[in-house]
Amino acid sequence: MNSLTRRIFTLGAISALPLTMLAPPVHAQDADAVKIGLIAPVSGLYARFGQVMRMGAELAIEDINAAGGIEALGGAELELVVIDSGDTTEKAKAAAERMVAEYPDLVGATGAYLSSFTLAVTEVTERAKLPVLTLSYSDLITERGFDYIFQTSAPAGDQAGIAIPTVLDLAEATTGTRPTTVGIITDNTAASLSSVDAMKDGLLEDNNLELVVDEVFTPPLADATSLIQQLRARRPDLVFFLPTVISDSKLILEKMNEFNLDIPVISFGIAIAEPDVLDTISPDLLEGVMSAVGNYAFAGHEELIKRVQEKYGEPWMNQNAISTYGDMWIFKQALEDAGEANREAVAQALRDMDAGPSPYFPGGVLAFDETGKREGAGLTVIQWQDGVPRTVFPEEIALSPAIWPTE
Amino acid sequence: MATLRSLIPFFILATLYLVAAMLVKSSYHQLILTLVLVWASFGLSWNMLSGYTGLISFGHGIFFGLGAFATVLAQIYFDISPLVMLPVSAVIGAAAGLLIGLPTFRLKGHYFALSMLAYPLAMLYVFEWLGYQEVTFPMKRENGALYMQFSDPRIYTIIAFAMLTGFVILTRFVERTRFGMALIAIKQNEAAAEAAGINTRRWKLSAIAVSGAIAGMVGSFYSVILLVVTPISVFGMLVSAQALTVTMVGGVGTIWGPIIGAAFIIPVGETLHAELGSVFPGIQGVLLGLAIVVVILVAPEGVFWKVKDIIARRRGEKGGAERVDDGREIVPVEAEDDQAAAPARAKRRISDEIVLDVRGISKSFGGLNAVQDVSFTVRRGMILGIIGPNGAGKTTLFNLLNGFIMPDAGQVLVKGSDMVGKQPHKLCEAGVGRTFQVMRPFMRMTVADNVRVGAYVRADSEEEAVANARKAVERVGLSYAADQVASTLTTKELRLMELARALAGQPETLLLDETLAGLGHGEAADVVGVIRELAETGTTIVIIEHTMQAMVRLADEFLVLDHGKVLVQGDPADVTKDSRVIEAYLGKKWSANAKG
Repeated sequence: MNSLTRRIFTLGAISALPLTMLAPPVHAQDADAVKIGLIAPVSGLYARFGQVMRMGAELAIEDINAAGGIEALGGAELELVVIDSGDTTEKAKAAAERMVAEYPDLVGATGAYLSSFTLAVTEVTERAKLPVLTLSYSDLITERGFDYIFQTSAPAGDQAGIAIPTVLDLAEATTGTRPTTVGIITDNTAASLSSVDAMKDGLLEDNNLELVVDEVFTPPLADATSLIQQLRARRPDLVFFLPTVISDSKLILEKMNEFNLDIPVISFGIAIAEPDVLDTISPDLLEGVMSAVGNYAFAGHEELIKRVQEKYGEPWMNQNAISTYGDMWIFKQALEDAGEANREAVAQALRDMDAGPSPYFPGGVLAFDETGKREGAGLTVIQWQDGVPRTVFPEEIALSPAIWPTE
Repeated sequence: MATLRSLIPFFILATLYLVAAMLVKSSYHQLILTLVLVWASFGLSWNMLSGYTGLISFGHGIFFGLGAFATVLAQIYFDISPLVMLPVSAVIGAAAGLLIGLPTFRLKGHYFALSMLAYPLAMLYVFEWLGYQEVTFPMKRENGALYMQFSDPRIYTIIAFAMLTGFVILTRFVERTRFGMALIAIKQNEAAAEAAGINTRRWKLSAIAVSGAIAGMVGSFYSVILLVVTPISVFGMLVSAQALTVTMVGGVGTIWGPIIGAAFIIPVGETLHAELGSVFPGIQGVLLGLAIVVVILVAPEGVFWKVKDIIARRRGEKGGAERVDDGREIVPVEAEDDQAAAPARAKRRISDEIVLDVRGISKSFGGLNAVQDVSFTVRRGMILGIIGPNGAGKTTLFNLLNGFIMPDAGQVLVKGSDMVGKQPHKLCEAGVGRTFQVMRPFMRMTVADNVRVGAYVRADSEEEAVANARKAVERVGLSYAADQVASTLTTKELRLMELARALAGQPETLLLDETLAGLGHGEAADVVGVIRELAETGTTIVIIEHTMQAMVRLADEFLVLDHGKVLVQGDPADVTKDSRVIEAYLGKKWSANAKG
């Protein structure tokens, strides 16, 4: 019946659009291969992020297979199955249903970029008992009491708490003094405001930081002069910078440059470090701008970064690529521990995993607590240096030393 | 029950769909089967308001999203099952509909459409601000069924199926009663509907409440299927657009539209996505978009109407010829000459009772005094012709008489009571009917149904409305065409149909706005004949006409307007000789010639 309904659906599509037939799906037929799913948006609004994840996954599978595959399974190779989660929650849920229905032999999956997609996908995979690794960092993902979800990044609620001391340590390490005053420039989008609220609700106080400039604007910003004048008047030791729209970032950075303000700027997330930022903002303005992110290619990944550049023409290796690369290695580890290509065994191996330091994720170890959070997950601080965002902190994994702008 | 009987094709198809769905084992395909029903239901909700009234809503996501969030938040905070929240969401949707309708129905056309767009977008930010970026239903590992967390996905299809069936029956019921008739009348011409005695505001509010209730319930159910609710996924632009897309592709203003649309778009979109999404990322959106463009180009009103037209044309090839014969037989051209007409007019008894008394009515638009201090009386049974050159203020005067425009000064007394400031449908209820200069027939409806719209104002039941409509059609001599669709009529027949629609409300006084416009000489004579018969059977008639020729044979009295003022009132024969009238029509030079 399955194939019949599928035929009916396909028929519908074909009768409307003969073009469908031009691209029959290609599935590898290797019976021994162990299949891992990548469910991510490779089309639509978020396609770029999914494609970058795919690059990471493909590189990892290449490396794992080249290194002899899964030893515990007689050198079985890993095979990647890409499922497009599309650009809406509904499509993500349908994609998850399709993944579990059409690929019953998957032993695990990683995805789904946007946390709302990950939430929808894992509602399906939890019921199908398919273990899923995710780089999404919504707190909700591991708060639902699910048994088959494993979160490799520090959850959002913890990120600001991890980031602030991290940044202060960095300042102290490079300048010798710990900052005591801070400014916040944020737009009024929900995501930005929730981080700012967390800071004001004690995080700043806990870190002995005095808030001297507190500016909230509504995107799109027309003129940044008044914001920057505040900064110039109060001269905080550093600025937390939370814009969502690139054009706003540009206006503010340009204005700071115009006013000759050398206050260190710290952003959150990888939006400020995506290659397309360079289409709008000149590298000079970005120079020195930092951002606290869940993960980024760091020291030890130089070879990988080079391969990403050569193979895919990507200028650098960001969070999505390195985390997905790392996820494949976690699955390899779980398969070795489990000794069988079975999703339940892989899930159990993930829960029991205790594989020491994590080579592809900042901070902590390769082990998951009972909710599925990676134990000790930290953050990386990246900084624009010579037109490239580079990991500068924590020191032990820094690609280059941080530059702390001083007056 | 006739409503149910008319849905037999639906029930047959629906049963087949359900049986097929029950055989599907894959949870993925089952989800798609469920989603088809969900989006068809949402399309029906949109159809209820926008399809029938023509007030396009770009913001149906508002009801959908409120239902979805109400359902998920009720379970999170109060542990209330979605089973309870399904009907509650319908109530929330209906309430939201009323709240939105009250202010928004003040707007028309594009303004209405755009302001509807604002509601879900505003709610999107409100819910983000409230901190509900992502909300999920707590998983119930035991007693899942009590919280609609079924392990067998077929149950969702069954529930969605039951909901859709309910909405289809509801829609068909509405379609067949005065509710639906009122909505369709509003769509064709809100002013005409008001003039036909329809309280348009009340019906529009009813429509948005029912529509909101359906959408709220669908949104509630959708949240249960997805288990994750985000402001974007329920209030987002795509949600509101989905309602439009399925309905417009399938067919607007019919129960079949959303069903056909959803059955096409959802599986095709998903299949493209599944088969091509990871091979040629993004191509599925392009192909689906192209498919929709092609459908809209080939069938601008939707697949349903296109197919219906094709079938009608096939059948029409045989039946069409008969119709023409009928027409010749039943509408003999009454070639009445002037001599015959004059005695006919004399025969008619005009009572002294004043049915319409206009006193000193004035209206100016900025600096233009469109109507200045116009007074006249109309006695029961008479035909008053209001004439005057273009721009004399005739139509403005009409609009003042039946409430479309508020006068700056003056009174309009209908049988002694002042009607100034009353809404048009109130005047209709008081016995004043009207037709419009620009015809607004309901093209997709039959002549009988067109006329029935006008009958409700005086009818207490459907049967009475049908009977009154039949009588009205008879009076204008259109019985032979009663079951024809309006779009097949000639201009003359359309004029007569409009007349019948006004008559169906059994008005005592009938205001006719350029009823003879656009008719050939012979055709005009036919319509004049019908109007005269109406007057003879006791209807008082006030008629505006641009040309005097036809009017001379028709009116008992002329009221000549020029530059918004009464130029002269009196017997047609005298008026046409009056030099002031000739001057107003033809200019000074000609009036001098006429005297000479």
